[in-house]
Amino acid sequence: MTDNMQTRLLRWAALFLLIYSTILTLSPAVRERTWDVDYKFQHWLGYLAWLACTYIIHKASARYLQDRDPFLFPAAAFLTGWGLLTIWRLDENFGFKQGIWLVISTLIILLLIRLHRYLPIIRRYKYILLASGLVLTALTVVFGTNPQGIGPRLWLGCCGVYFQPSEPLKLLLVIYLAAYLADRPIIRLNSLPLLVPTILLTGLALLLLFVQRDLGTASIFILIYTTILFISTEKKRVLFASGLALLAALLVGYFFIGVINVRINAWLNPWADPSGNSYQIVQSILAVASGGFIGRGPGMGNPTLVPVAISDFIFAAIAEETGLIGTLGLLATIWVILSRGMMTALKAPDRFRRFLAAGIVSYLGIQSLLIIGGNIRVMPLTGVTLPFVSYGGSSLLTSFVAITILLIISVPEDNEPAALSNYKPYSTLTGMLALGLFACAFSAGWWALYRGPDLLSRTDNARRAIADRYVPRGNLLDRNNKPFVVTEGESGSYERVYLYPELAPILGYTHPIFGQAGLEATLDDYLRGIKGNPSSLIWWDHLLYGTPPPGLDVRLSIDFGLQTKADQLLGGHTGALILMNAETGEILAMASHPTYDPNKLDEEGDALSSNEAAPLLNRATQGLYPIGTSLLPLIRAQYKEETLSDNQLKKLYSSLMLYRAPQLNIPISQADLNTSPKDLRISPLQALLAASTLSNHGIIPAPRISMAVDTPEQGWVVLPAEGQPNEVLQARAADEAAVAFIVQDKPYWSHTGQASANELIITWLIAGTVQDWGGTPLVLVVTLEEDNTFLAESIRDQLLGSITK
Amino acid sequence: MSGSIVLVLRIAMAIALYSFLGWALYLLWRDINKQGNAIANRRVPNIGITIQPASGAQAERHFSQPEIIMGRDPGCDIPIKGDDTISTRHAQLSYHHGQWWVQDLASTNGTFLNQTMINMPTVITSGDEIKCGNAKLLVNISVDVFVSPTIKLEKDNQ
Repeated sequence: MTDNMQTRLLRWAALFLLIYSTILTLSPAVRERTWDVDYKFQHWLGYLAWLACTYIIHKASARYLQDRDPFLFPAAAFLTGWGLLTIWRLDENFGFKQGIWLVISTLIILLLIRLHRYLPIIRRYKYILLASGLVLTALTVVFGTNPQGIGPRLWLGCCGVYFQPSEPLKLLLVIYLAAYLADRPIIRLNSLPLLVPTILLTGLALLLLFVQRDLGTASIFILIYTTILFISTEKKRVLFASGLALLAALLVGYFFIGVINVRINAWLNPWADPSGNSYQIVQSILAVASGGFIGRGPGMGNPTLVPVAISDFIFAAIAEETGLIGTLGLLATIWVILSRGMMTALKAPDRFRRFLAAGIVSYLGIQSLLIIGGNIRVMPLTGVTLPFVSYGGSSLLTSFVAITILLIISVPEDNEPAALSNYKPYSTLTGMLALGLFACAFSAGWWALYRGPDLLSRTDNARRAIADRYVPRGNLLDRNNKPFVVTEGESGSYERVYLYPELAPILGYTHPIFGQAGLEATLDDYLRGIKGNPSSLIWWDHLLYGTPPPGLDVRLSIDFGLQTKADQLLGGHTGALILMNAETGEILAMASHPTYDPNKLDEEGDALSSNEAAPLLNRATQGLYPIGTSLLPLIRAQYKEETLSDNQLKKLYSSLMLYRAPQLNIPISQADLNTSPKDLRISPLQALLAASTLSNHGIIPAPRISMAVDTPEQGWVVLPAEGQPNEVLQARAADEAAVAFIVQDKPYWSHTGQASANELIITWLIAGTVQDWGGTPLVLVVTLEEDNTFLAESIRDQLLGSITK
Repeated sequence: MSGSIVLVLRIAMAIALYSFLGWALYLLWRDINKQGNAIANRRVPNIGITIQPASGAQAERHFSQPEIIMGRDPGCDIPIKGDDTISTRHAQLSYHHGQWWVQDLASTNGTFLNQTMINMPTVITSGDEIKCGNAKLLVNISVDVFVSPTIKLEKDNQ
């Protein structure tokens, strides 16, 4: 009967892992969206090892442990297999090692199952057992190493085999406490002397762990001691006292111990320092959010972005790839182990075995809750392993021995369960563990479903940059569909290529480390395909691949020919230039010098941001310059006089919308609105818009730089301008002012002005076509960070001249 | 294409996961049923009681349920009429931990086992004499005759 139940459960577990492995094999094809890939096969070795080990233990338990609890082993084996495959998926090397540890653990379990009759005897050797555990742990103080080379030195070992004595020490402590307390009559709290040996030994263990800075394990020790004492004394006071002690320790640690301070701060406010102290927890939450409800699928998420995903953060890795569905299943499986373990404790034939079983349940439960809770910000992070699941030979072996002891205790004996005067402590303890698991489930759902969508658009979510390698990003084209920026390569290695680097300050860049800037940032939704595509396609692609659909091309208003000419004319001078259609607001050319090459961001990125010449800045829309005498024609158009009072000037500037940020979907700077008109600084774009009134009958057009987007369903769809045209001057006054500034023999008006800022002379030039010219009305602004009227005028003549010829 | 196939597999994987848990829950439910049934049908060694009331004929009765109550109340398993020295519910015989136990139910005149007054549940064996008021009960536990009370329960239900 028991064997039958165990077989059926194990079959489901094996089926789950079989499908998991199959998906993992196919995952590269899904990631790269082609069948021509290198499939993963190595993890099948892990699956087969799991299958063999599980089968052997199953058979041995059927033979030697009749009528044992049928749930404990399948649940533990299920978690072990899930963990093994997850580790294999994260890192094949560690997966292989864990597979070897699984085989070693299985051999030891087989031995234990065969020797199951001797379990009551270990009670006599409690001091020897605990002492040997303490000695081994003490050895790490002297001979300790860390397999990774850095970090706390908690391991013993050499030649590639490492062992962490603090893992079995937990189990040995449980055995010792159970044996010691079972040998005494019911302990009253006031008979303190009876408890002295346990306090001394637990204290010694704690001291060792403190010296070794293994604080996670130390807190587990305190909690294990508390629960076993609670169960044997049946007094709730123990819980309160221990809770207070832990809280006090936490407070002392918060103020005096660096690690604890960092961990608690990272827990209380992870968003304050997402790239430093709370990097791990933020990345872990991002992984949970990325998993969402159904998960990305084995092999298709990016859980390796979370540090130490194989051990401390394996829960986050599982959450990302199997989603909330998986994490709830995982928590439920842990609950099966804990509840059946507690049942075993209640049915145990004597006090020693009862305390031992309850102690093992609390050890497994507390450790699982600590690390899962730490992963999803239910409590501060403690670097312990998730029993059965995490990578780590000592952890796996200890968990396996613990579950085997539970199995042995669960074998019913002829005599009935030991007398139990009060079942309350057991139900309290089980209830607390259940509550903890529920809190974890709730929190996982909170991050995955409620906060998920918000979190995933965070810039420190590297999944966006990774998706860019697998999904083509939309191209940026000039007004005649000549490409400025394209995506090249094939799935898995898509790269952004900037064909016209001089336009970098305007177009910006998209880079996995430096983020996004310019039009690449403001048009990101279209280029990334999350806007403009049908929402069903976006949803479907997210479900299948966890990425947005292919991005959409965006056509800009910039004219490749005029832009090239503008860049040549501005040359090596520092400044900005914008040429715009004064009627429609379409920007035909926009230059900002000095410029940079976004194709070389990998090598030059850091230097660029600290470069004093500020090449990353788009001077045309973000550079703020004093106005000086640059807007004289506009003053003329409005007032017919040249010296104005502050109030008049302010009124004029307001009507020319210099006190408002222009509405254009490109990064824009805006001066402080409270500055007096004399100190006001404006961007070349603002000057350009004000000047456009003279070529457009007093109307400021709504500026546009992105014209249309190429959608899969409707072809090119026009992107509307962000703002509205505004009539700010009387048409006749504007036309007359334009004529007053006409350049001799040319169809355009022009004015050069100067301003000084920080001992630097700024040369302004505004110009535009006059009404008589029959062609497209154009307006131009040139801003130079030098005193060079000649250059400004020569740019004007060559640029406007070439068009109006 | 690969995405759709793998999506089907992912759904199958979720189904396998919850089948595992569903089976575990189903088996747990079955286990509870089985446990309940087992406890209800726990085998009890047949106990024979020879009742010697202060007045009236001696009678021998056999029991197979795990709890036997004697007293003046006609609803008791061993009712003894017309003896004021016996309380309404006087004493209880019960079977647990592989033994038959006798326990006084706060009777007025107390319960004696082999002339000793008992004030806590006490193990009884064959040949013991229990005295309740003026009535005597002789215990005869037959080790090898097991009667499954299921039959009796079913009879009760009819």
